[in-house]
Amino acid sequence: MPKAVRKPAAARAPLLALPLVEKLLSAAMSRGAEFAEVYVERSTTTAVSLDEAKVRSAQVGAVTGVGVRAIRGAQVGYAYSDDLDETALLRTAQTAALIAEGNRDLGPVALSRTPLPTYYQVKQPLAAIDVSRKIELVREADAAARAHDRRVKQVMAGYADQTREILVANTLGRLAEDRQDLCRLGVSCVAFGKGGERRTGFYGGGGRVDFRFFEDFSPAQVGREAARQAVATLGAVPAPAGPQTVVLAPGWSGILLHEAVGHGLEADFIRKGTSLFVGKLGEKVASELVTVIDDGTVAGGRGSLNVDDEGNPGERKVLIEKGVLKGYLYDHLNAKLTGQRSTGSGRRQSFRHAPMPRMTNTYLAPGDQTPEEILGGVRKGLYCRQFGGGQVDISNGNFVFEISEAYLIEEGEITRPVKGAMLIGVGPEALKNVSAVGSDASLDPGLGTCGKDGQSVPVGVGLPTVRIDDVTVGGTGA
Amino acid sequence: MEAQVASRKARKEQDAGLLGICEQLVALAKKAGASDSEAYAERTRESSVKVREGNVEELQQATSKGVGLRVFTAGRLGFAYGTDFSREGLRQLAQSAVSLAKGAAKDQFNELPRGSQLGRGPEGAFDPAIEDIDPAWKLRAAHAAEQAAAQVDRRVRKFDGTGAGDFLARSAIASSRGASAESRASYAYLYCSPVAEADGQLQTASWSDTRRRLAELQAPEEIGRIAAQRAARMLGARKVKTQKAAIIFEPQQAAGFLAGLSGAVNGDLVYKKSSFLAKLLGKRIATEQVTLVDDATLEGGLATRPFDGEGVVSQRTVVIDRGVLRNFLYDTYTARKAGARSTGNAARGWSSLPHIGTSNFVLDRGTVSPEEIVRQTQRGFLVTAMLGSGANVVTGEYSRGANGLWIEDGQIGHAVQEVTVSGSLLDMLQAIDAVGNDLDLRSSTAAPTMRIAEAVISGS
Repeated sequence: MPKAVRKPAAARAPLLALPLVEKLLSAAMSRGAEFAEVYVERSTTTAVSLDEAKVRSAQVGAVTGVGVRAIRGAQVGYAYSDDLDETALLRTAQTAALIAEGNRDLGPVALSRTPLPTYYQVKQPLAAIDVSRKIELVREADAAARAHDRRVKQVMAGYADQTREILVANTLGRLAEDRQDLCRLGVSCVAFGKGGERRTGFYGGGGRVDFRFFEDFSPAQVGREAARQAVATLGAVPAPAGPQTVVLAPGWSGILLHEAVGHGLEADFIRKGTSLFVGKLGEKVASELVTVIDDGTVAGGRGSLNVDDEGNPGERKVLIEKGVLKGYLYDHLNAKLTGQRSTGSGRRQSFRHAPMPRMTNTYLAPGDQTPEEILGGVRKGLYCRQFGGGQVDISNGNFVFEISEAYLIEEGEITRPVKGAMLIGVGPEALKNVSAVGSDASLDPGLGTCGKDGQSVPVGVGLPTVRIDDVTVGGTGA
Repeated sequence: MEAQVASRKARKEQDAGLLGICEQLVALAKKAGASDSEAYAERTRESSVKVREGNVEELQQATSKGVGLRVFTAGRLGFAYGTDFSREGLRQLAQSAVSLAKGAAKDQFNELPRGSQLGRGPEGAFDPAIEDIDPAWKLRAAHAAEQAAAQVDRRVRKFDGTGAGDFLARSAIASSRGASAESRASYAYLYCSPVAEADGQLQTASWSDTRRRLAELQAPEEIGRIAAQRAARMLGARKVKTQKAAIIFEPQQAAGFLAGLSGAVNGDLVYKKSSFLAKLLGKRIATEQVTLVDDATLEGGLATRPFDGEGVVSQRTVVIDRGVLRNFLYDTYTARKAGARSTGNAARGWSSLPHIGTSNFVLDRGTVSPEEIVRQTQRGFLVTAMLGSGANVVTGEYSRGANGLWIEDGQIGHAVQEVTVSGSLLDMLQAIDAVGNDLDLRSSTAAPTMRIAEAVISGS
């Protein structure tokens, strides 16, 4: 029987009636603020989890709310509400307005829609995909991980997606709406070796992509890779401690850039003078081989944005070009206060949070060496293949990131696995020690979440194979 | 004053509805076909101020609510949450949870707590003074902290921010197995994050305090002064050589070490043999000086509560008793699976399923002062701040970035940065050779100063 053809949906009603949005903007300005913004968010989150070969749970959450911000000079008033009736919302706008003191009749705000590019074409909202198909993903991943090796005894698989619709309107007349779908499949394994040894593996991916993404990026492949990591590191020896040459495998290793330079280039730290990159524009802060880009326009990227959470379009920004610092990451407030323009970097976790400058997808431009050439040139060092999380102190520039799968390099060859390694350094120093950059540029598969001031946002990172000299490796071996 | 009384009354009326919302949901879930169900709701109010260089930088205020519904249909688990408390919103939530359960596996251990497991332990503190806190008080406190910080040292001139805030929470739980309870909590906090600068080096530090009672909050001037001293003393920090030496964790860093360790006593990881402590129950795993408890009934504790996220009565659980591993932590599901009893450690919010988490996770105080511990250290590293997550409780390895101060012959010397501290968690526990008398419940995971006789420091 032929399926009914669905008529193309008429232009959808905005998340909140525009006359009410305008009323809220006026209320937020009523005490003399210079700028006001209304942010409306409706999100549906679906998650399934599997543990010990059983689908443990399936869950769905629906959250709607409005955040109102009023700005005067460097002062911000912020209030939010998950109650959508007009009285509650007006009270919210009046609370935000309290940042300013005085009276002001704003008059009407003429909102005009910002035409937006599309970097993520998710045709069917992920929230509308039947949960049974999501459950199928974790089942397949689990089966593949277990089948990979008998020593893989614990497997946890999780799939989560979010369909988030936003509307941003401000007193500059900007009105932007976007639907931002995001999904992620992740598998973690524990392999058991001799004498009670346990090693872990983790792999996964996703992005702002159609559910069909998992036809190519198959759950079986995800499960096998997680299992491979856990098994490959059985019998690992303690990581050698102290300074050495490291070679980073492509992809998720881009967390190096995220921590070593990215955060320090966020304009709030720059304006306050608390980042070690203050006043260094035009200066050499990295090796000539290093060109760093923050790019909100990557197709389907986990950190990609048609529009940021302040209504500005996502952009591709060159932060460091051939070692020279070229720019910072600006949100509306910090751009305004320092006479710059927003780079579409204003992001927030939800309507419960005020926006701040954040990264999107941060990656290193490729060089011209093959990974084999790079490895072959190292007499003694550490090859870092998979990575855990990282963190940075933006004032002294100290950063760390954890290496979950690493091997010794001896005479240009990858030899024994090592355990418990982590890298520590100071951002600019580490980037000055980059001595080879591969041609194999690659983004991470879509795993990263970045935390700042208690707010989490999805991000992407990327790196080709890279050699860095004289990096301190934390470990316990000799 | 009148306005305050009125708003208080309005809040009371709203709050009275919170348990009612949960009970409605349980009834709706039954109608939708659930064999058992449990609803958990929260309503919170938060308010904060932030100042910087003498100016107000941010004022935030909001109330927020949400409810989560856990259902079992024939042993299958479904969960749905939302913020829509309308009758229609609740009905949809119930239907959605029940229909989701169909996709989950049948699991004989899926059951709600009942009977004598449910109940109330001691209430955590709720301070009306925090409920009625004057916004002007927060601004004054933040300004005072910043001003005090700016007077400590000429090299402390920049600030990331200084702020104050309060947080009120009311939660309610109802279930088809007889849970029906409400509880409330209040918190006030104050923090200061200055940046010290000299010779092209920037060093930031932060000091904060959070309490359930307003009167117990550390004085703003003290918070500012300590924060600035901590930033200034890090100036000139440099790497040290790779070596083995004693590690002294300041109280906050010792608490961080315990927080990392807490996963190792999580009953779920233990059951799956995925904790390095899984097979060591009843064994000596640490020195005699180590007694570690999880205590949701602790007077003055930030995580003190009458019942856990499933309505199970709060209790005190000795995890390590004078070096011997005595107990793991459980929620109802894992306890049933492992043949143990719930220790009242179900942690949750309205948007998450219950899972095992610590309450007040506290290392008992010792008898030595922190100054004495430093004096008795020939060569060591006093760790004052850390980077990264550190402990891997599956493999039992520990490695974490560290900043701090070098100790030589019992004296504090130069500042240290860009090094890591690494070791095996079991070796580190068995090398704890001094525990300070300076326990202060500034966070729900808390510890006094603690020394590890030897670990690896990776540097130059």
